[in-house]
Amino acid sequence: MPIRRAVIALTCAVTAALSAILASQPAPLPEVLVSRQLMEAQHLQVGDTLRLSSAASGVDPHVYRIVGEYEPTPDPMRLGAARLEVRMHLPDLLAVEANPQNPLDGETVDAINVSVTNEGAGSDVARRVSGAIPGTAAQRTSDDQRRAAPFVVLERFHLAIAIVTVLASSVFLLALMLMLVDERRATVGVLRLIGFRRGRILQHVLAEGVVIAITGAVFGILLSIGMEGGINRFFQWRYDTALVFVRITPSVALRSIAIAVPLGVASIFASSWSLLRAEVFALTRR
Amino acid sequence: MTPLIEARTLGKVFPMGGGPVHALRDISLQMCAGEYLTIRGPSGCGKSTLLHILGCVDTPTSGSLLFDSRDVGSLADAERSEIRLRSIGFVFQRFFLLPMLTAAENVDVPQAEAGVPKADRRRRTMELLEYVGLAHRADHRPSQLSGGEAQRVAIARALANRPRLLLADEPTGELDRANGEHIAELLDRVQSDGTAVVVVTHDGALAERAPRRLLMRDGRIEQEEFRR
Ligand SMILES: Nc1ncnc2c1ncn2[C@@H]1O[C@H](COP(=O)(O)OP(=O)(O)OP(=O)(O)O)[C@@H](O)[C@H]1O
Ligand SMILES: [Mg+2]
Repeated sequence: MPIRRAVIALTCAVTAALSAILASQPAPLPEVLVSRQLMEAQHLQVGDTLRLSSAASGVDPHVYRIVGEYEPTPDPMRLGAARLEVRMHLPDLLAVEANPQNPLDGETVDAINVSVTNEGAGSDVARRVSGAIPGTAAQRTSDDQRRAAPFVVLERFHLAIAIVTVLASSVFLLALMLMLVDERRATVGVLRLIGFRRGRILQHVLAEGVVIAITGAVFGILLSIGMEGGINRFFQWRYDTALVFVRITPSVALRSIAIAVPLGVASIFASSWSLLRAEVFALTRR
Repeated sequence: MTPLIEARTLGKVFPMGGGPVHALRDISLQMCAGEYLTIRGPSGCGKSTLLHILGCVDTPTSGSLLFDSRDVGSLADAERSEIRLRSIGFVFQRFFLLPMLTAAENVDVPQAEAGVPKADRRRRTMELLEYVGLAHRADHRPSQLSGGEAQRVAIARALANRPRLLLADEPTGELDRANGEHIAELLDRVQSDGTAVVVVTHDGALAERAPRRLLMRDGRIEQEEFRR
């Protein structure tokens, strides 16, 4: 094992030498990450130095080095607000607020977010942290009701819009179907005269309704998929955010079909009913 | 020989806001297979109403109708549809062709509904279009046909399932003299080929072609003429 020991010794020596060289350099500036928006607004670049002060007047600035740019986590609650932000190490942040005259006057950190690599382990980690450090409350961010609240509101808002849209388009659909059926009055009359049974005509009408409804739903989904990118790009540009505004998932598409098809068939059925109830000769007599 | 149609004291009343309308009163009538009958009468005397009842489209409010010995009044709507499909052909003043279908497709529809195999249907359709002299217009839509041609297609369609009875309500009403004559000849031919024909018409010349003629007034048969 002498070779391995030699290698370890050599490594230690190199490390020690490097540390000594680095220590002789002036203290390196604290590092910060700057949001894409702030980078763009102030024409900053990675490697630039940045002066930040806790006072609006800019007195007593601290100096940092920009080591990277980041995209702020999209937040629908802050839509429209320019995300001019900086991320710094916790000690640096405390240092910004620290008052040399009164050490007790500093900011305290009362909450930190920890990201876990294994997403599923979130609650397990939370439980263990809570148990290990008495007095801390650890929970998954998704369990935080206050954080989820805006999304719940948004979801309800979307549901309301969807219901209004569906109702309005159903009325429109029904009117359209009534027109279609009225146009068909003579056709249905002729078919009844020829000897088509009511059930057979209804079958045709329903089959047609299903085809129209499925075609409509598929068209609608394709249209929304086609527009998805455009809408997202427009609003992301408009609000300068990475927030995703529209996302057509398979479950959304399936739900649309599940609503549209019965609705289309029901409106065809409703609009054809009077026609099929009518006496045969009443249809062709004018 | 049992009659094809036997109407016994038929009456038809339409209950209307301003009091009931008596469209037919006490009509009794027998018709044999292959017979040719024309019906005339002033407007509103009940000719079309009678034709609808004979064609199992409408039902009388009193009396009864036997079609091929079956009491039509006791049949369900689906059964009456079946009789119309297989045993009765209709021709109207306004043709009532399906506008989105070609002449051949219009003739094909009743056969398809009756479940005739496709090859047989195609043969029968061409045979019928030849019969009415329109084989060369098979692929034309009603809008591309003249009135006389459209009526001939309508007759071909009415004959599609080899009906025992052809009912025509003012078949020449919208046609000029020459075309009317053409249709009249065609109806003669249909009858001589074995189908019973009933024609309602205001056209005296057309009415005179039949050996048996009814004159209606106020919902009754006022006069019946026979010619040998
Ligand atoms: N569906 C209906 N509802 C109410 N009344 C009707 C109806 N159908 C026919 N009538 C009435 O019954 C009577 C006979 O009508 P019908 O259509 O049989 O006359 P028509 O002899 O065919 O007349 P035209 O020569 O003008 O065609 C008329 O008084 C008519 O107003
Ligand atoms: Mg009439």
